[in-house]
Amino acid sequence: MKKGLFILIPLLLMGYLIVITLIPRPKPQMVDAGNKILYNQNLESNNRDQESKNQNVSSDHIKQSLNCKSCHACEYPTKEDPCLIECPRQDLALVFNTTKEGPEVVVIDEMSENYSGVVFSHKLHTHMSEMSAGCTDCHHYNTTGPVLKCSKCHENTRSREDVSVPDLKAAYHRQCMKCHVQWSRENGCNTQCHSRKSPDSDVKLQQLIKEVTNKTHPLRPEPTKMRWETNYEKGKIVTFFHDEHVQLFKLKCADCHSNDNCTKCHESKTSKDFGKTIQIKKSEEEHHKSCSSCHNINSCQKCHKESEMMPFNHGRSTGWNLKAYHSKLACTKCHGNTVPIKKLDNNCTSCHKNFTLGQFDHKITGLVLSEGHAEAECNSCHVNNNFAKNPECSSCHDKDKSYPADLPGKRGK
Amino acid sequence: MKNLNRRNFLKTAAAAGLAISALDSKTVKGADKTLSEDRIGMLIDTANCVGCRHCEWACRVAHNLPTNDLDTYSNTEVFKEYRRPDSHSLTVINEFENEKNPLLPIHVKTQCMHCERPACVSACIVGAFTKHPDGTVTWDTDKCIGCRYCMVACQFQIPTFDYDKAIDPQIRKCDLCFDRRKSGKVPACVDICPNEAIIYGKRSDLLKIAKDRIKRKPDVYIKHIYGEYEVGGTSVLYIAGKNFTELKMPPLGTNPAPGISESIQHGVFAYFVPPVTLYALLGLIMWITKRGKVDELKENNDIQEDEKGENS
Repeated sequence: MKKGLFILIPLLLMGYLIVITLIPRPKPQMVDAGNKILYNQNLESNNRDQESKNQNVSSDHIKQSLNCKSCHACEYPTKEDPCLIECPRQDLALVFNTTKEGPEVVVIDEMSENYSGVVFSHKLHTHMSEMSAGCTDCHHYNTTGPVLKCSKCHENTRSREDVSVPDLKAAYHRQCMKCHVQWSRENGCNTQCHSRKSPDSDVKLQQLIKEVTNKTHPLRPEPTKMRWETNYEKGKIVTFFHDEHVQLFKLKCADCHSNDNCTKCHESKTSKDFGKTIQIKKSEEEHHKSCSSCHNINSCQKCHKESEMMPFNHGRSTGWNLKAYHSKLACTKCHGNTVPIKKLDNNCTSCHKNFTLGQFDHKITGLVLSEGHAEAECNSCHVNNNFAKNPECSSCHDKDKSYPADLPGKRGK
Repeated sequence: MKNLNRRNFLKTAAAAGLAISALDSKTVKGADKTLSEDRIGMLIDTANCVGCRHCEWACRVAHNLPTNDLDTYSNTEVFKEYRRPDSHSLTVINEFENEKNPLLPIHVKTQCMHCERPACVSACIVGAFTKHPDGTVTWDTDKCIGCRYCMVACQFQIPTFDYDKAIDPQIRKCDLCFDRRKSGKVPACVDICPNEAIIYGKRSDLLKIAKDRIKRKPDVYIKHIYGEYEVGGTSVLYIAGKNFTELKMPPLGTNPAPGISESIQHGVFAYFVPPVTLYALLGLIMWITKRGKVDELKENNDIQEDEKGENS
């Protein structure tokens, strides 16, 4: 009997331990509410801190309607451990910083053996990038939040295991040479970037930093409307609304300006008319390319008109005036992310699947239905569920009732 | 000549041929087995090459060849003429027009391709050339007799010769910095390239990288990895935005050059089985014909004897 107890008690203890470890404990749940990521109580206070400290990030998260997994590898990223996905982050460039935040001058001297550090005028380049693809032009594959150092992904050694990502030396050179080879028509070690190490190189470096700090590029204000005169007979004028594409359609700069460099506006560094912007002659194909990546260019007269086009107006172009709630939404909310955009009809229930009897509160339309009417099916007044047309009373009432003379309830909210 | 008529002779000859060809395929496969799965190579991404020619300088320094100062290599005048590697420059860069963007010309580096089935190794009559399991093709200067067969055999016209030297001229070509790599370094050209347009790594990895780049930037690259299948595959691979024939890369088939000649040569002498079989066969034929003759003679003798008997 005693022997039996000696075996039973440890067995029971072990069983208890196993049960404790195996029972699933409630995990903190993440709720996606209108793209605003909310955490349950355990994380909420933490999250609120983060939001107040880092307004930029949270607001960008809302704007972008991002999939969490496109940036974060783990289930519950925190500010301390955002667990950003491993390099290379293919096709993921989400820098949301303004050009004013960056440093004025950066001295790149992480690898200098034979040469003194490279003085890079960050300010000057941000000025130029503002007319082009913005920060993402150089800071590619960067997730939201602080701009990462190049060395985060690019190892500082040529002899390494994973050669699919260029090393640090190559990463820097490619970024610079992408434009500078075309700009200066040189491919040797540019003396402006690299100067050989000498006893007085520190003094020279300081001088260069001073010189570069004051360099700026005149800003060209962001265009609102652009107008081209073309040779097309049936419609000579093409109008392009830059502001609409940025603000209304929410295109990222890099969507159109991904391959821009100095030569887009200036002929060359060596040419005499440096300083003057010049008109680059582009082929017909190239001219159309920037539009055709999103728009269907099969019908010429859609863009080529006799006169200037009017700015985009949802009501005028589609016959559906956006009011109240709809005007605040991003286009993609209803029309999706596809190109060309998904076309919709003006039937409320084709988007709002929950507009059914009992689920829809008629009060928000500004008309409180009387008791009898509140129990009626939607389509008994709104024929064929067409909410754009005036409601009809004839399905229940005789011809003595009509809308809007006889309201089925009270006005007011 | 009872048993051996023309038809039988052809039959035996065909059988012998089959036996030889069966042996051939074995020897060819055996040659492939010496290559390591992790064999190395270089991927030359012409879209990233800016034509700084630093690799030319680094190559000369690494191989103790005479060179000017590095700064003199920025001179782009040399691009006016198409250049080939010579005994003093084992690698050269050439410039080609880029129709997509005239401001960014295409630069193509030329050096030994380190073929998977090298023709030079096959052609060398003294066995001075070696294909190493890691993919490198090197040669032994002490064994070389200067016959220059390798130069004729190479489809890429890579091995060069010290024509200017009267005494002790040597064959030279890129050896993928064989000695440098022994101390854990990467080849000199790979090391100095500012843009890492030359990627050094496992051939299998390089193929993956090349395919990935072509897939990700279809407007930059054409769908062709030069060296993936050319002449049975090479250790050096190229990707570019223009047809390779326009970049003066020879349009070559997928068959390794040493294929036919080597298989006959190796097949004929493999383990001395075919020669022994051939001689055995000839011996057998001789024996059969001889026996037949003896029989004939005997018969003749018998007949003669019979005739004699009858006469007598």
